[in-house]
Amino acid sequence: MILFDGQRKIAEGGRIEFREHITESPSAPLTLVCLDGGEAVFDIDIDAPGISLDLRGLYVCGGDTRLRVTVNMRHNAGGSSSTQLFKGIAGGNSNSRFDGRIVVARDAQKTEAYQTNRNLLLSRSAVVETLPQLEIYADDVKCSHGATAGKLDEDEQFYMRSRGISLEEARRLQMVSFLAPVMEGLDEEVKSQVNDCLAALK
Amino acid sequence: MKEILKIKDLHAVISGTDKEILKGVDLTVCEGEIHAVMGPNGAGKSTLSCVLTGKPQYEVTGGSIEFMGRNLLEMSPEERSWAGLFMSFQYPVEIPGVSISNFMKTALNCRREACGEAPISGADFLKLMRRKMELVKMNPDFAKRDVNAGFSGGEKKKNEIFQMAMLDPTLSILDETDSGLDVDALRTVAEGVNLLKTPQKSIIVITHYQRLLELIVPDHVHILKGGKIVCSGSRELVTRIEEQGYDSF
Repeated sequence: MILFDGQRKIAEGGRIEFREHITESPSAPLTLVCLDGGEAVFDIDIDAPGISLDLRGLYVCGGDTRLRVTVNMRHNAGGSSSTQLFKGIAGGNSNSRFDGRIVVARDAQKTEAYQTNRNLLLSRSAVVETLPQLEIYADDVKCSHGATAGKLDEDEQFYMRSRGISLEEARRLQMVSFLAPVMEGLDEEVKSQVNDCLAALK
Repeated sequence: MKEILKIKDLHAVISGTDKEILKGVDLTVCEGEIHAVMGPNGAGKSTLSCVLTGKPQYEVTGGSIEFMGRNLLEMSPEERSWAGLFMSFQYPVEIPGVSISNFMKTALNCRREACGEAPISGADFLKLMRRKMELVKMNPDFAKRDVNAGFSGGEKKKNEIFQMAMLDPTLSILDETDSGLDVDALRTVAEGVNLLKTPQKSIIVITHYQRLLELIVPDHVHILKGGKIVCSGSRELVTRIEEQGYDSF
């Protein structure tokens, strides 16, 4: 797996562990991009009150690759908020799994934590698993999670093709559209790496 | 006159069902003509436009369609577009994250590639887009906006006519372009269509109402009812429909 943040490649390997202790609010969304198969584990600890974290991620896999993304978002201090948006595209015979855990510690009252995981399946043989979990030990929190898996929208595809956009290009634009909320925060170099990866997907 | 479109005894169903929606439609459109297809709800108007543009959810079970001398039914939706067919959608699709500029450039370049031409240069594309936006009175800021995302009904229809201007089709189908438009938006959209109309271009206007046909004046009017064209005539037919309704046909 190759892991990028919003600006550059930060790691490469079969299993990548990424740890971050957040003690002040980041000025921009934190974006994580996982390309190719392998495993990534993101351990993110929110260790101070008053933090607002916007975490976005995407993963793309095709061919026969297996990919696993685990997010452990731990709220260790109260009065902070986190929102997560993870988007995955799976093609070919790939198998991808997203484990998303939000843990709210007993003293972390007034925590707000939300997680969304959306998956796009390009082929019938791709398999996507998504396992969101909430572990809440405090009693005054707002937390939610949601997950979806769907295929390319046919009406959207027909609209594009009726304008002379080939099926292949239409599919590519649909993927661009799907990933847009995560891609908007990326530097051009990272964007182009993602686009190259999308162009090779079936 | 040169025949652009020739529909013969066209029968169609929604894929996977046996409920016939088009039950033998015949229609010929010649170069430069404007045809109106009118009819009540459920007559098959939208099915006809979907079958013409090759929407996958519809299946042709009989008859033939020739477009510019080619068998339209053997062509993919994009091939039909490359050949000069265009449809303004009744409900244009929103594509968040894809700008109008990116969308149209991709469309033009796909066609150029299919015709063995090199991609359009960035400068030429911008020039072309500005000119066509001006023609349909579209704010140039729209080039950067995502396709139809958050557009009003009028803006969506104007964007359809802008795309029509960019693609410069031989035959345009306006599928209920008047639906959801206020009087002013309707006039702007109709003016755009009339500006694009040349003696070589043909148009099929699909509508329930007279309103749009006062602005885009048809040469021929057809009544589609129960999956068939039950009556064809000149523009005087429109007045009869307004006075007597579709029940009289």
